[in-house]
Amino acid sequence: MIHATPARAAHSEAEMPSGEPRREPIIELAHAGVIFATSKGDPLVAVEDMSLTIYREEIVSLVGPSGCGKSTVLRMLAGLQQPTSGDIWIGGGKTRRGFSEVAIVFQRPTLLPWLSVMDNVLYPVKVLQRPTKAHRSRAMELLELVGLQDMAERMPHELSGGMQQRASIARSLILDPKILLMDEPFGALDALTREDLQLDLLDIHAETRKTILLVTHSINEAVLLSDRVAVMSARPGRMQDLVEIDVPKPRGAESAARPDFLALSQRIRDDIFGPRTGRKGRRA
Amino acid sequence: MSPALRKIVLPVGTFLSFLLGWQLLSEALDVPVYLLPSPLDIYEGGGKLGPAILSNTLETLKTILLGFVCACAVGIPLGVVVSVNRTISEMIYPLIVFLNAIPIIAIAPILVVIFGTDMTTRLIIVTLTCFFPIMVNTAAGMMDTPKEMLDLARVAGASRMGEILSVRLPSAIPFIFSGLRIGVTVAVVGAVVAEFVNANKGLGFLVTSSTAQFAIPTATACVVILAVISVVLYEAVNWAHRAFFGWSIKTKAGE
Ligand SMILES: Nc1ncnc2c1ncn2[C@@H]1O[C@H](COP(=O)(O)OP(=O)(O)OP(=O)(O)O)[C@@H](O)[C@H]1O
Ligand SMILES: [Mg+2]
Repeated sequence: MIHATPARAAHSEAEMPSGEPRREPIIELAHAGVIFATSKGDPLVAVEDMSLTIYREEIVSLVGPSGCGKSTVLRMLAGLQQPTSGDIWIGGGKTRRGFSEVAIVFQRPTLLPWLSVMDNVLYPVKVLQRPTKAHRSRAMELLELVGLQDMAERMPHELSGGMQQRASIARSLILDPKILLMDEPFGALDALTREDLQLDLLDIHAETRKTILLVTHSINEAVLLSDRVAVMSARPGRMQDLVEIDVPKPRGAESAARPDFLALSQRIRDDIFGPRTGRKGRRA
Repeated sequence: MSPALRKIVLPVGTFLSFLLGWQLLSEALDVPVYLLPSPLDIYEGGGKLGPAILSNTLETLKTILLGFVCACAVGIPLGVVVSVNRTISEMIYPLIVFLNAIPIIAIAPILVVIFGTDMTTRLIIVTLTCFFPIMVNTAAGMMDTPKEMLDLARVAGASRMGEILSVRLPSAIPFIFSGLRIGVTVAVVGAVVAEFVNANKGLGFLVTSSTAQFAIPTATACVVILAVISVVLYEAVNWAHRAFFGWSIKTKAGE
C-alpha cells in the first residue's frame, strides 16, 4: 500500500541521528517486502522486511550483491511494483505528476527508438503537456551536460550504449523531479565518462538539492556520491547495514584517497563479503 | 558486380531464362494454345484487348486499394482494441476468428445477393479477405511492446490512452507492416474473387469472360497483370515502411 501520510513518522524521527538539524522524510519504507510468484510454483522472496527512511535533499546509495532486490526496491518507489507486505510512503505533491515528482533512470537506457534523442529527452514532458520553448532549451542544456549536444537530432540506434544511457539521464532531469531514482545509471559507461558524470551528479545535486536514491555496484561510487549507503544482503534481500558517509563536501576525485573514505569503503566491503583476510574467507 | 546490381540482374536473368525456356518448350512440343499458351501467345492475347486492358486494370486496382484501405481502417483499430482490453478481446476474438474461417469464395455469391452488384459488395469481400492478418499482426505488435518502455510511460505518468498512443502503437509498427504486406497481397486475391462473382469490368471479370470464350491467352494475360499488381503493391508497402518508419527497420538490423 502507498499511504498519503507518513505511516511511521514517529519511528523515523527516532531514527534521526542526534545533533542534526530537523530533517524532513520524503521516502519511507516500513518493513516492505516483495514476493514474486514464480513459474515453478515456490514463491521467490525478492525483498524482505526492508525499512529505510530517506530525507529530503539526501543522496542515498543502495548496494548489494546482484539479484538482492535493489531494482525491485526502486520499482516499488517508482510505483511499478506493489509491496506484497509492509508499507511504502512517498512525500511531495498530492498527485503524482510523472517525472516532475519521481523520475527514474533504468538499468538499461530504454530510449524510444522512433523518437530523436531530443524528443526522447522531452518525452516525460510530452506525456503531460505540449513542450514549450523553455522545455526545449532545458533539454538542450541537459544534453550539453551529458555531452550529447551534437546528437540531439540523431535517432537512438545511432548512439553507442553509453551515449544512450547518458541521454536517459538527461531525460530523467527534464522535469526537475523532486526525487530521482537511478538504477546503476553509470554501470554501462566507460571509466572516464563515468567519473565525469559522477561529479556532474554531485554538481546537479548541489545546485538543485534533489533527493536521489542510487543503485550501484561500485562501492567507490557509493561512498563518493552518498550521504548514506544502504547495504542489502543477498536473497532474500533485506537491509544489512546503513552507513553514514561523513566524508567532507564538496567531494571530488581526490576524496577517494582520504583515510575516512577508505575506511568507509572497507566497512561496506566487509558488510557485503564478511570480514576476511584473503579470498578464503568468502564462504564464511 | 556490385551487390545492388546483383539483386536486380540475378532474378531478372532467371525470369527471362524461364520465359525463354517456356517459349522454346511449348514450340518444340507444339502444346495447344488452349492448354498452355506460350509467353508470346499471352502477350498477343493481352494485346487483343487493346485499351480495354488499361481501364480494366485500373478498375481492379481501385477495388484492391479501396478494399485494402477499408481493411486497414477495420483491422488496425480492432487489433489495438483486442490487445489492450481483455474483456473486449474475449468477447469479439472468437467472432473474428469465425469470420476469417468462412471461405470467402463460398460466401461471395451470398454477399452479392445481400448487398447487390456494386462496388460496396466488392469492398466488403476484399475487406473480409484481408483484414485478418492486419488485425492479428497489429495485436501481436501491441502486446510485444518491451516492458521497460511501458514502465517508462507509467512512471512518466502516461494515461492508458497515452501509453497506447505514445508507446504501444509506435512499437507495433514493424508488426503492423508485416500485416500490411500480407494483407495487400491477399487483397489482390479478394478483389479477383469479388470480380468473379459480381462485376462487368475488371481483370477478374476479364478472366472469367475470356475463359468462357476459350480465349485462354487473354485470360492468362490478365492473370499475369494481377501477379504484377500484387508484386508492385507488396513493394509499395515495403517502400512506405522504409520511407516513413526507417527507424523500425534499422533497429531490427542493428540488434
Ligand atoms: N517480475 C519478476 N518476477 C519474478 N521474479 C523477479 C521479478 N523481478 C525480479 N525478480 C527476482 O527478484 C530478485 C531481485 O531482483 P532485482 O532485479 O531487484 O535484483 P538487483 O539487486 O537489481 O540485481 P542486479 O544487481 O543484478 O540488477 C531476483 O532474484 C529476480 O530474479
Ligand atoms: Mg538491478
